[in-house]
Amino acid sequence: MNKLSRRDFIASTGIGLTCWVSGVGVLLSPQQAQAAAIPLETLTDTQATTLGALGNALVPGARNAGLVQYVDNQLGVDNTLLILKYLGVDNAAMPGFYRTALDSAYGHCQNLFQTTPLKLTAAQAHRWAGSIAGGADSSWRGPPAGFFFFVVRADACDVVFGSRQGTEDIGAPFMAHIEPTEPW
Amino acid sequence: MVGVSNGTASTPAYDTIVVGSGASGSIVAAALAAAGQSVLILEAGPRRELAELTSSQLFARRLKWSGAPVEEEGNHTIGHGFNAGFGAGGSALHHYGVWPRLHSNDFDVLSKHGKNLDWPIGYEDLRPYYDAVQSDVGLSGDAEAEIWRPQGAPYPLPPLPVFKQGKVIDRGFRAMGLSTAPIPMAINSIPNNGAPGCTYDGWCDAGCPIGALKNPLVTHLARAQKLGVDIRYDAQVSRVLMSSDAQRVAKGVEYFDSHGAKHTVNAATVVIAAFAVQSVRILLNSQYADGVAVGDRGAKLGRYLMTHPGCTVFGLFKDPTDPHLGPTGGQLICHDHYDDKTAIKDSFGSYQWLIANAVKPNGLLGYANSRPDIFGAELKPFMQRAAKHIGNMLYVGEDSSSAENRILLSDRRDKFGVPIARTIHNAGPEQDAQLAFAMAEGKQIFRAAGATEVWTGPRAPIHIMGGAVMGSDPELSVTNDLGKVHHTDNLYVVGPSTFPTSGAVNPTFTVSALAYRTAEHLASKN
Repeated sequence: MNKLSRRDFIASTGIGLTCWVSGVGVLLSPQQAQAAAIPLETLTDTQATTLGALGNALVPGARNAGLVQYVDNQLGVDNTLLILKYLGVDNAAMPGFYRTALDSAYGHCQNLFQTTPLKLTAAQAHRWAGSIAGGADSSWRGPPAGFFFFVVRADACDVVFGSRQGTEDIGAPFMAHIEPTEPW
Repeated sequence: MVGVSNGTASTPAYDTIVVGSGASGSIVAAALAAAGQSVLILEAGPRRELAELTSSQLFARRLKWSGAPVEEEGNHTIGHGFNAGFGAGGSALHHYGVWPRLHSNDFDVLSKHGKNLDWPIGYEDLRPYYDAVQSDVGLSGDAEAEIWRPQGAPYPLPPLPVFKQGKVIDRGFRAMGLSTAPIPMAINSIPNNGAPGCTYDGWCDAGCPIGALKNPLVTHLARAQKLGVDIRYDAQVSRVLMSSDAQRVAKGVEYFDSHGAKHTVNAATVVIAAFAVQSVRILLNSQYADGVAVGDRGAKLGRYLMTHPGCTVFGLFKDPTDPHLGPTGGQLICHDHYDDKTAIKDSFGSYQWLIANAVKPNGLLGYANSRPDIFGAELKPFMQRAAKHIGNMLYVGEDSSSAENRILLSDRRDKFGVPIARTIHNAGPEQDAQLAFAMAEGKQIFRAAGATEVWTGPRAPIHIMGGAVMGSDPELSVTNDLGKVHHTDNLYVVGPSTFPTSGAVNPTFTVSALAYRTAEHLASKN
């Protein structure tokens, strides 16, 4: 797939992630967007790697399932699919919600282990996530750490368990009336 | 305030404008069109088609409110983003089809107990409309098994089946001497009116594309369209235009289209059916010439905002439960605690159990999020176990009608420059006591049913009601019993806004019965 510029990346129509590749609209799953290294629209690289690391610590497989691409893409649309929509946060406030909390999560990782989220061992990542669930520390800024934990965990569950594959992987029948276009 | 109409006389373009295409608006529109009226529906959200109701917890979120932000304050916020719909069919497009009736003791709470409010009508006034709606729509249920059910015609369709989850949890109710019955549902248990029977795959929350669950796209909105009702989508009504030379007369509405262009349209009658919060917001943004908001002569507009306190009990059972099967709204219902509102110490009100809801892995109501304390490598084993053995049931409690719980206008404005809604809702100690009692009972029921692990979720707001309550006294209410706004001649509100009390049942059946009653009145004015 051709390398894309940020300018080429447009908001989702709500069915997968719609990207422009060489002037042609292409529908990608978050997983495909991750594999294709589609540029991010809202999150910085550090925020994105922090989100991927935290999501993976909470729900193994979330990073490869395209958690970062899903969240970043849905922060740029009017009628978002993010669970945050149900939790009393305005659409316009959602980018700031994630950015500020991810910066805090990155800082909390530094405070705990003097390293970046990407370099954490599995045990450290688990402890980091658990500490965020418990309120992190006084340097935390943005939404309450425990609430942010819940939201990222829910986002990660959406991309891992929300598809036919993810549902059937835990032994539950998917039983779609209308089969979702990739991936949901 | 947005501004005041200049009062220019004009010929009504329509007999009736209906603001909103949900359960109540589509009922009124269809009935008036059938009576020969010209009717326009203005819907704030987009057109919806059955073919776009994809089976996905994520896609389901597109059906929820996506219009102007709603500010929420208090210790029990109303959950507007979860409870309100957006687009054709309104909130009824994603509703679960749970249609119990209010009980007779829900209508005279103030008179009997000195709390909350009275309705200006009683159950017997509404009963024929409940019967008419259930015959028209086609409800499934077992009236005899509902030993608590108020008088009314039997259901036209047999009850929906009870699957393993329901049977397992029912053991606990029986062990504790409690009664259950199949939930009365606006879901086909057998093919009916050209729609197939339910396939029990638990995707109700995403909207039912086969029409087995009676959402407006297959009931009254479809009927309205066939009868020639005009519908304009992406039309956000900002205010009602009042005639300045005859202050009691609504002459039409002002709305913005998706491009931000402002329009006015006139009608002989205006019906606001924009769900609880937006209906009130429209009235608060509308003014008489003296600056008072339309409907607020008694200073009650926006007050008595209500939401049912809800909480889910979860459990893991040794027996297989097939939790993916059945309707999202549940399989069984228990109203044993409904008819004595004073039975629980330090509490007041009724409550119901909705038992054995079909549940998905993800989503706000999914089992993954029922245990946020489990993460990392422990999560998948839990998910695998839950996929086969989880059971759940939902407590739905009665809210109080408190004047302090209310809808106001915020200082903030939407993209059209119209003030957005600000809501304040707090639960009091009586709701806290009832919730505590119910959770203790729920855990006991699950243990009696054989659950090896039991836990409960957080208190959540379910449904939104009030804000433009009906009443006999114009100083104490916003509308009369037909939804006509006091001190106006031709402006009506339908939908859950007009409920003076919440009861403890899902509101769509009552919303529909009230809308039938208002529609009958308006049609008779022809």
